[in-house]
Amino acid sequence: MAGKKKSIWKFGTREVVFAAIGAALYAVLAYATNVLQLPGAGNVSIRPAAVIPMFFGIAFGPIVGFITGFVGNILSDLLSGWGFWFWWDLGNGLMGLIPGLIAASIVDYGALKSILLGELFVILGAAGGMGVASLSEMWVSGADLNTVIFANFIPAFIGNTVNGLILLPILMVAYAAISKRSGRG
Amino acid sequence: MLISWRYKFRNSIMDRIDPRSRWIFSFAFLISATMVWSANFLFPLFIIALIWYAFGQTRWKETRRGWFLVSIMLFSMIVINTIITGGGAGGVVPPGGHVLWPNGFTVPVVNWHIYFGLTVERIWFALCQLMRLGGVSLIFVLIPYTMDPRAYGATFRGLAMPDSVAYTMELAFRFIPTLARDLSVTLDAQKARGYELEKVKGGIFKKIARIAPLLVPVTMNAIIASEDVANAMDLRCFGQAKRTWIYELNFHRWDHMLNAVSVLMLVGIILAVYVFKLGGFWVPEWFMQLFV
Repeated sequence: MAGKKKSIWKFGTREVVFAAIGAALYAVLAYATNVLQLPGAGNVSIRPAAVIPMFFGIAFGPIVGFITGFVGNILSDLLSGWGFWFWWDLGNGLMGLIPGLIAASIVDYGALKSILLGELFVILGAAGGMGVASLSEMWVSGADLNTVIFANFIPAFIGNTVNGLILLPILMVAYAAISKRSGRG
Repeated sequence: MLISWRYKFRNSIMDRIDPRSRWIFSFAFLISATMVWSANFLFPLFIIALIWYAFGQTRWKETRRGWFLVSIMLFSMIVINTIITGGGAGGVVPPGGHVLWPNGFTVPVVNWHIYFGLTVERIWFALCQLMRLGGVSLIFVLIPYTMDPRAYGATFRGLAMPDSVAYTMELAFRFIPTLARDLSVTLDAQKARGYELEKVKGGIFKKIARIAPLLVPVTMNAIIASEDVANAMDLRCFGQAKRTWIYELNFHRWDHMLNAVSVLMLVGIILAVYVFKLGGFWVPEWFMQLFV
């Protein structure tokens, strides 16, 4: 785990399992927070699960982050019966892939520098992922850029960024602690 | 908390179609529908989507959640974007056009005089959007209700995905009940310690941070457990040879026919758009006569 140089594009047995568990976790948490009806502000829905692909990307690399977001969103939609929306699944995948690009440069997950770098890539990940998903609505729905920005991109980007910024440091510090305690590598 | 898949065996036509053929058809339809704006193409595609949806034999009660989401999307895209604001309609509808109420209209009772620049072209575009988005939705909303979750791993392997990626999907399906149980147990344990997830007090940031006592233990336990699963898989030489799948898929005659139809539909639309320059947006004369 922590304290070791990693190759970010490796996809071996560990990555298969981490991606699978990340996807399942993302699906279950997204579904559970829908069921538990977290009180939201206005019509902005709170989806704390959005941090899962970002965190799995940072911890285990971009491929794991991508699969966690992509497959996790598919599974969540299958559980809630919302259908299959490939371009939004892809956007969720990118939201995990982009933060995953810094996986190799993070050694100590509890260090302030690592957390700040993680936070920066949360913003980039949410912007890139939700940007691609929103822009594909122009191709699918024929919506214009204004609608895509104000109806799709901004709510999705802000929601996912806020969730990521708040919850990612908590997960990174917790992960640093279990890495040190368990001594697993 | 109970987590269950929406899929149910209905002995429908859809249940007899190979999932690989269904994915091929669904993506061929998506690409075909999104390449054209002409009602000459969108109307037949919409009818095909309706027939496809009927093959699933789903009931309204089961699918209404999915349709609720679709209706929000359709409302924002069609009613708000195209009808009310105009919004350029994605650059598809040429500027100008035949304004429906050139001199505005008066709202009865309040006597307000309103100038609303809705054009006949935009109304027709809204109908085309409805056929296009409605058709795509009919195809994709059906998937959770009619595709067996056990088939996903084998299906994606059958669609030329690498074993590792297909197995990831398979494994994710298997982890869902375990993680749902872990989440439920953690929630109960935290509630016993006075944790209140549903507490209304506090701003949006506090509400998000309040999820941490639930999120952190579940995530960290899942990571620790996955290390053990990975070690067990390594001991069994995972990834050293080609995998076999317990859920076997076999193409039947009708699956080959459906694959052929999917390819023909896609090739036909590509030829129509790029070779014959058809498929662009236009308003039929009879529709124009209704208003002008």
